[in-house]
Amino acid sequence: MAEHGIEGLAAARLWAVTRFPYLATGVFGAQVIADRGSGTVSVDESWRMHADPELTAGWTAAQLGSVLIHHVCHLLRTHGERAQGTGVRPDEAADWIRAADAEINDDLVPAGLDLPGRPVLPRDLGADDGLLAEQYFDGIRRRAARAGGGGRAGSQDRSASNESPGTARTWLDCGSGADGIPRPGQGDGGLPRWQIELLRRQVAQEVMAHGKQPGTVPAGLLRWAEEILAPKVNWRAVLAAELRRAVAEVSGAVDYSYRRPSRRSAVAGPVVLPALRRPVPEVAVVCDTSGSMTEDLLAMVLAEVEGLLRALGLARQVRVLACDTAVAPAQRVSSARQVQLVGGGGTDMGAGIGAAAALRPRPAVTVVLTDGYTPWPAAAPKGMRVVVGLLGDGAPEAPPWARSVRVPAH
Amino acid sequence: MRAQNPAVEALGVAVAARVPVLLWGAPGTGKTSAIRAMATAMGLPCETVIASIREPSDFAGLPIVVGDEVRFAPPAWARRLAEAGRGLLFLDELSTAPPAVQAALLRVVLERAVGDLTLPDEVAVVAAANPPEQAADGWDLSAPLANRLCHLAWQTEPRAVADGLAGGWSAPVVPVLPEGWQAEEILSRGLVAAFLHVRPGLACAPPSNAAAAGRGWPSPRTWEMAARLMAAAGAAGAGDEARSALIRGAIGDGAGVEFLAWMVEMDLPDPERVLADPASFRLPERGDRAYAALAAIAAAVAADPTPARWTAGWQVLGLAADTAPDVAAVAARVLAKCRPPDADPPAEIHLFAPVLRDAGLL
Repeated sequence: MAEHGIEGLAAARLWAVTRFPYLATGVFGAQVIADRGSGTVSVDESWRMHADPELTAGWTAAQLGSVLIHHVCHLLRTHGERAQGTGVRPDEAADWIRAADAEINDDLVPAGLDLPGRPVLPRDLGADDGLLAEQYFDGIRRRAARAGGGGRAGSQDRSASNESPGTARTWLDCGSGADGIPRPGQGDGGLPRWQIELLRRQVAQEVMAHGKQPGTVPAGLLRWAEEILAPKVNWRAVLAAELRRAVAEVSGAVDYSYRRPSRRSAVAGPVVLPALRRPVPEVAVVCDTSGSMTEDLLAMVLAEVEGLLRALGLARQVRVLACDTAVAPAQRVSSARQVQLVGGGGTDMGAGIGAAAALRPRPAVTVVLTDGYTPWPAAAPKGMRVVVGLLGDGAPEAPPWARSVRVPAH
Repeated sequence: MRAQNPAVEALGVAVAARVPVLLWGAPGTGKTSAIRAMATAMGLPCETVIASIREPSDFAGLPIVVGDEVRFAPPAWARRLAEAGRGLLFLDELSTAPPAVQAALLRVVLERAVGDLTLPDEVAVVAAANPPEQAADGWDLSAPLANRLCHLAWQTEPRAVADGLAGGWSAPVVPVLPEGWQAEEILSRGLVAAFLHVRPGLACAPPSNAAAAGRGWPSPRTWEMAARLMAAAGAAGAGDEARSALIRGAIGDGAGVEFLAWMVEMDLPDPERVLADPASFRLPERGDRAYAALAAIAAAVAADPTPARWTAGWQVLGLAADTAPDVAAVAARVLAKCRPPDADPPAEIHLFAPVLRDAGLL
């Protein structure tokens, strides 16, 4: 740690971890390297900061400490990786960094970050606080397209915000840790990926521990830590897996049949082998259409179910039942939007499942889409697998005999 | 020369340790060719079996009538491996195999039993699969089969592809396990056992949803597998990244990360031992580890601030102040707050005055 050669770094770090104690592990975990002549302070994705000592010499401990905190937040929030995921082109990198800066600064600047120059805040981008970098970036892209397509609208955007050129951030380039575009000459080294992951978890745990006293940790950082420690499950992947599993177990519950001899009979000599028979399962979808359901969410999940079943080659077998306390007759729908929510108070999914079981041919798999505020049958319906999609936040539990998938509202 | 891809390194260690391993990766990313190249480099005969076009009886044995009994005859690939006495059984397209075939594979993967034939212990089992969302007709792996394999993510680096296209693909480096490497397994088993004493809930935690069930998850069998892989990775001198991939591949990401974090913590010096003998203290090189070590020592003093411990704490900080004045100053602030009433001001305090003044904290 002594090789960094940057004046005042120790004092800056000390200022940073005194002001933001919950980020201490992150601040000390990042390696700082002097990079003479670069004219900026930047980070790479291996948790190394490259700082130009001539630039930082003019800063106070608080300013350099704030820049360290700011960059650690770029790394904690994996802005580099997310930029690649968003498809940020090299010519858009400056815009992405402004969006990423806004995500960090919106609650850290009020918490006492003292950045040199004028920090980018969401209101400079014409957006509200508390959004993600992707959302800010989308806003910039859309405004650029509106401002007169094609050209470098991003630069117009920059002059439109009220940053006067003189005080504009002199450390504009936050580096590959912020935009995911490799910089030349930074080479191998730094922390390996798995250690970065451990480091981020450690910081998240410390943020949560400090967050137990209300008002000490900015809300945006707390949300980040919660997300790291208990990541949201991708409901699409879970729904797909549950549906595949349900269909597989039904169509995999193969009967041995002597109606057709096995193709292996030729080698089996006098033994007669049965052939495998693979029933194609019928699938029914029961939709809760009571007043408490959200139409958009239902349409989205239904579209997802249809897409999955089509991928399994079962789309023609799907019948959709609308159900609140009574069950509407089964309808074959070609688009999810055709399902109408009739509204009305009560819900009884038991009636819907019963109606599905009464269909002929009888469905082997029933998908129930509901907000969960419903009575359920006490036991599983006979000979039918049930997958329950629980729509919306805070839906009550589904019964244990069904496989359930939670779909959050956002 | 570029460092070897950690996934290839991890694959080599798992093959050398004869732990069944499964590579997950998008189609066309070179899983199959990497496995074949590894078998060639190791001088092992390689039998490729595409699981998705096979029937259950291809793995459970084909029933034939001999005299008045029915035997389950193994297919030719199994017999060839048994005759060679060693080799690599490569099961391709595992995730597109229907559930009935996956069930038949259970015994092949772990017990190396094909019908009435048992493959020799020296046969390594390697499988490859496309994630269900990328395979047109993919199934999720059943939880029992998933639990018998170490799961490795196969990622392609654009740079490696560019290098390979221009200059030819480099053959994977095969790790060599020294004779008697199994002795180290006792150590890694002890480490796993110590961790499971702290976190008994992770000894066996079957996943709750079908998507997670198709990957590694903690169970007694996979913990044993993880201990074996750790020992093999240590003996082969594999990198940290490969070792971490193997551990997480065996017991799943969630439990794996907790186990790795616990091991990192175990590496830190014990605060009580340091306070008993401050001169023995060596500051960890990485900043965050140094911070964790000093914070633990300061917290230990604050918990029981006798004058002797307090003075010992300052001595430790004095040793650290030279290389990491900022880290030590954070701990010094904690110590300064818990001064025992009859203790003299420490000599080391002047070391921290400049940095505290610069940071505007004095």
